[in-house]
Amino acid sequence: MKKALKYTAAVAIAALLLYSGIYFEDLSQVRQLRQQKTFDPSSYARDFWDNQLAGILDKAVDVEELIELFNTNMAEAVKRYGKAPGVSRVYAYLVTGEGQIVAVGEDGLLVSVRDPADNPDAFVTTGLYVPGNAVRDASGLVDVSKFSDTMKFNEISREINKIVVEEVIRPFMNRGPKVGVTVKFYGATQVAQDATEEHFFGELLSNDGTEKEFQLVTIVPIRLELKEP
Amino acid sequence: MIKRLFLLAVGVSAAMLLLVSCKQKQSQPEQSSRKIAVVISTLNNPWFVVLGNTAKERAEQLGYQAVIFDSQNDTAKELDHFESIIAGGYAAILFNPTDADASIQNVRRAKAVGIPTFCIDREINANDVAAAQVLSDNYSGAVEIGQYFVKKMNKKGKYVELLGILGDNNTWNRSKGFHSVVDNYQQLEMVAQETALFDRTKAEEVLGTILQAHKDVDAVFCGNDAMAMGAYRALVAAGKADSVLVFGFDGAKDVIDSIRDGKIAATGMQFPKRMARMAAEQADEYIKGKRDFEQKVPVAVELVTQENIAKYTAYGRESEQ
Repeated sequence: MKKALKYTAAVAIAALLLYSGIYFEDLSQVRQLRQQKTFDPSSYARDFWDNQLAGILDKAVDVEELIELFNTNMAEAVKRYGKAPGVSRVYAYLVTGEGQIVAVGEDGLLVSVRDPADNPDAFVTTGLYVPGNAVRDASGLVDVSKFSDTMKFNEISREINKIVVEEVIRPFMNRGPKVGVTVKFYGATQVAQDATEEHFFGELLSNDGTEKEFQLVTIVPIRLELKEP
Repeated sequence: MIKRLFLLAVGVSAAMLLLVSCKQKQSQPEQSSRKIAVVISTLNNPWFVVLGNTAKERAEQLGYQAVIFDSQNDTAKELDHFESIIAGGYAAILFNPTDADASIQNVRRAKAVGIPTFCIDREINANDVAAAQVLSDNYSGAVEIGQYFVKKMNKKGKYVELLGILGDNNTWNRSKGFHSVVDNYQQLEMVAQETALFDRTKAEEVLGTILQAHKDVDAVFCGNDAMAMGAYRALVAAGKADSVLVFGFDGAKDVIDSIRDGKIAATGMQFPKRMARMAAEQADEYIKGKRDFEQKVPVAVELVTQENIAKYTAYGRESEQ
């Protein structure tokens, strides 16, 4: 009887010691914690820019075609080319095209991509900073669900926008773009699905020759080059 | 001796197995449960009341009995609620977390006993614990507010920022989105940045104190509408309501009315009703067998100003009411 008690006590103590020395952790939790500690938005954006974005630029839609579609059938534009990371009235589009520079301003270029060549329809951002998520979202390459918190998802945009300013806009502006010159571009734009309720995109004169109110497609550039005459 | 050691080893193994199984085995929810819990961070703010009530109403429309729990911005209360919910055999939880990190353990606890959690508006910093998360896209909304702020301020002036709860991701997503624009303008100077905990009374007190030291403030950016209303009251008390622009975030009724009356400059319209309905519908789908949800679904925040106020009503767009 004494022996039985001794064994029971020994087993209980040994079990307690072993149990308190062992703990179980969810592997996914450990991985997530590691991701939180090691995530570097700058490296992520660099890889996105160098290795991922370049590979999908051939899927960019011609901006002239897109403007026509915005003005005539917005739902079709959204369905064919629009991307949004969640529930939104605003969709992002990867675009390409070329047009004549109509004006050079502090924050961007007014560009005419349709005829007649002196009527602007696009505004290419060339200011000191680029806000928002146009490039990230138009690419469709970054999935918010892969991130433990959405701040990381947003930090990627911030870093992508820095690359746009430093590696696209600044070198381009150093070349001194002038009115009348043709610019070729790849870029991203964001347009609300009800954007044409009040005004169409692009300046075109009405049949009686009077000017109508219009709006511009704002493009965050991914590639910009001046076309030699 | 060998026999004794063998017996000891068998005993230890058996005891450990018993301990581990005791720790892991908890009550499982009843498969036929028709109860949905709605856990809200605080009901001391009309915006969250709308969020909670809409979630409850939608769950009831879908045939469930729904109960609202108020965490009062207290993670300990939230934990108590989760324990009651687990013990109560609820089928799902519609959850507006109090803290992006501290709330994870509660969701994990519910998941361990088979109760799915659907986060609404605020996220938890994990992407494999909740069944799904429907979230306000605060950063993008704050970028839009920042751009409008710069335009209204004509790129120069002094401003104050009132932050929300520091442990909440929404606080920082809004602040960082706003600053991603505004910090690019050197003549826009932030003279004070203080937390007012998303609370109207606290905001009134905090801004009142700041205004004593900075009498030449031109604008106040607030991380939510409750703080915007508190800031407006502080400005009225200081006789500055007509000269200082106030910017909020939420789309709450009093701020929408105030934008219409020209008292508040702008806010970011989140869509609490839309998000709450989505989460309730996801829970219903889950209970019916669906499992492949997008983990995080950002819902766009829209800029509401005195120019476009006609399109909006409290907590949403005029067209979707």
